[in-house]
Amino acid sequence: MIEKGKISSAQLGKMIYLAITPTAILTAPGISFNFARQDLWLSPLWAICGVIAVPLALGLNRLYPDCSPVQASRKIAGRIPGWVFAGANWLFYLYMSGIILREYGEFVVGAFLSETPLLIVLGSLVLVCAFAVRGGVEIVGRFAGLFLPAFLTLFLLIVLLIIPDLQITNMMPILPEGILPSLKGSLVLQIWFSELSIAWFLLPYVSDRENAKKSLWITFGGIILTLLLSNWVTLLLLGDLTGGYSFPFLILARYIDLAEFFTHLEALFMAIWVLGAFVKICVFFYVTVTGAAEWMGLRDYRPIVFPMALLLTLFGIWIAANFQEMTHAIATSLIPLALTMFILVPAILYAIGRLRGQGRQ
Amino acid sequence: MIRKLLLVLVSTACLLPTAGCWNAKEVNDLAIITGAGIDLTEDGRIELSVEIYLTSPGGTESDGPMTGQPNGDKGTSVIRTVHGINMADAASRLQKMISRKVFWGQAEVFLFGERMARAGLEEPMDFMLRHTASRERSQVFVANGPAKDVLLLTPPVDRSLSDALVSMAEQQTGLNITMKELAQMMVGKSRAAVLPIVHIYPEKDLQDAFPYIAGMAVIKEGRMIGKLDEYTTRGVMWLRNEMKHATVTVKPDESGGYVSLHLLRNHTRLIPSIQGDRWIMTVRITGQDDIVENTSNLDLSEPDHLEQVEREMERFVEERVKLALDTAQKKLKVDIFGFADAFWRRYPKQWMANASRWDEIFPEMEVRLETDIRIARPGLIGKNFFPRQEQR
Repeated sequence: MIEKGKISSAQLGKMIYLAITPTAILTAPGISFNFARQDLWLSPLWAICGVIAVPLALGLNRLYPDCSPVQASRKIAGRIPGWVFAGANWLFYLYMSGIILREYGEFVVGAFLSETPLLIVLGSLVLVCAFAVRGGVEIVGRFAGLFLPAFLTLFLLIVLLIIPDLQITNMMPILPEGILPSLKGSLVLQIWFSELSIAWFLLPYVSDRENAKKSLWITFGGIILTLLLSNWVTLLLLGDLTGGYSFPFLILARYIDLAEFFTHLEALFMAIWVLGAFVKICVFFYVTVTGAAEWMGLRDYRPIVFPMALLLTLFGIWIAANFQEMTHAIATSLIPLALTMFILVPAILYAIGRLRGQGRQ
Repeated sequence: MIRKLLLVLVSTACLLPTAGCWNAKEVNDLAIITGAGIDLTEDGRIELSVEIYLTSPGGTESDGPMTGQPNGDKGTSVIRTVHGINMADAASRLQKMISRKVFWGQAEVFLFGERMARAGLEEPMDFMLRHTASRERSQVFVANGPAKDVLLLTPPVDRSLSDALVSMAEQQTGLNITMKELAQMMVGKSRAAVLPIVHIYPEKDLQDAFPYIAGMAVIKEGRMIGKLDEYTTRGVMWLRNEMKHATVTVKPDESGGYVSLHLLRNHTRLIPSIQGDRWIMTVRITGQDDIVENTSNLDLSEPDHLEQVEREMERFVEERVKLALDTAQKKLKVDIFGFADAFWRRYPKQWMANASRWDEIFPEMEVRLETDIRIARPGLIGKNFFPRQEQR
């Protein structure tokens, strides 16, 4: 393996939590609302892809516990198919990192730094991420552990402070057209839930592998709870307006007014978002870089971190011409792509592996 | 060696811009907009008047940061007026009129002139909701006349006119509607909204004229279609469950005087029901009041007498609510009480089938009132100490 570092199973959980929730809180409620309407809060419960992704990642890791996915896929499917898979995979992760980066950039530029060029915003975050990724999986894991408490505290603080302005009637009527709208609303959320399969790439570095299963399921539960809570409070505050806003949760933070003292808290949300996006991009970028290095047969991934960082910045800009195009892509073409690469392809690999009787001692 | 030197040089160079001085915006470089008035001119252009709060340049530091009023003069707020073909156009011209950088982030009040409100609120609302700096929490009012006239008043107590309006609205003796709530009402099932009206007392050109909030503007499909007087407004507020603080004076029968009650806790529930083809709304108003004055000959420490006052109070509330209902159902034919949303929440299927007929259903709807007002405490004294002589 190309990486010598080790992480604990708790760090794995924290990394994955922060690699999924930040963007889900930011853009998902607005997209989900257009399908689910007042049943928006229910959508995160239909976490079908998560239920598939977690056992899949664990099962794939069990086939070859100490091999990275690139090596494992070669052993499972043979040299050429494995090579094709690994190549497609790191390109896909590069594309995903680009989307995440662009989401971060669009939010920061669109809502706060409106006069700063997008390139500066993207470039500066990528630079910091590149340093972290160069430090190895241990550093990324430590960052996740460091930022998770801050992320959760700020998130819960915003939710707590907005309670006086919530109107419970906004979630009624409950299920007027059955569960179908909320299911449709959860379709876009499947992108985020399927991201759980990224655990496969991190599992080989977990030192206490026996606890990884528990840690992953707890993470999965935490993600559902977080999305449930964020969708719910967004809906109770904004009601019919939810779908119209690009970043509904930002409006939530801005709407807080407690005793004319706690006002203008959008900076808090900005802090959440920068912390979260940093870890999220680090995790995805790490998978991209190590995947690319192994695919190319390098002995060390460190030399290609900065060139890849440059490529990532460009991807962030190439991904879409503007904000609308990006949201449209997320709500449409990204769903099948993400499901294929996060769920379908690993599932096929797992099936081949089991059929060939691998993973049994 | 050269590599190391270069590294030191580059990293020091990187430090320079991090201090942020190169594009610093201090508070006294900003023109902080605290309130904006939007009027429509005769030729259909937007007239945007903003109240700008100016910190005196350098003044705050020499006086110490805590001295609020510089030299006791009120001249810290200035008004600027610009014209444009729409809100964005007018707002962009604003920067030309003032030497400081225009800053919208603290705009707490948006005041629509009456003509603007009658022409339609959607256009300026779009600008304000789209703008990244302006807030959804801002209070929205309609002026009884041009908004500019209200902004030009000098408030006697508060720092700025916007402050005064916000404080007045937050007492909740009148309506208190934020930008988000207005947008929500406008996209709601009934597409009707209400906004508080700001009047000028006594007249606009007098030195000591001040603004006050009374009555409400009725908005349908984004356009103001009518005004309700203060009396009817109260009824509407009862129905909308917005009656929070008020003192009510009633005259119980054969008691020879008045009893005043202070509202403590009020709650209005809308209970929709559909019986066959008839749509019925039951309005259940419950409340707890304190007695604040009693000049009648009733001994209010006696439960029997209390009941009499309670019933009188209920009659009083019902009378006002009925007036509001009559005005909305028969005269304006606008559902400003959120009945449509109540039906949608309870009967989503029937609502969707009849949504297009709502404008016909609402005026004919039967509304049943159930009022239950309880008096919680008589205050510190029970009966009237000073009853009038002839009744003794």
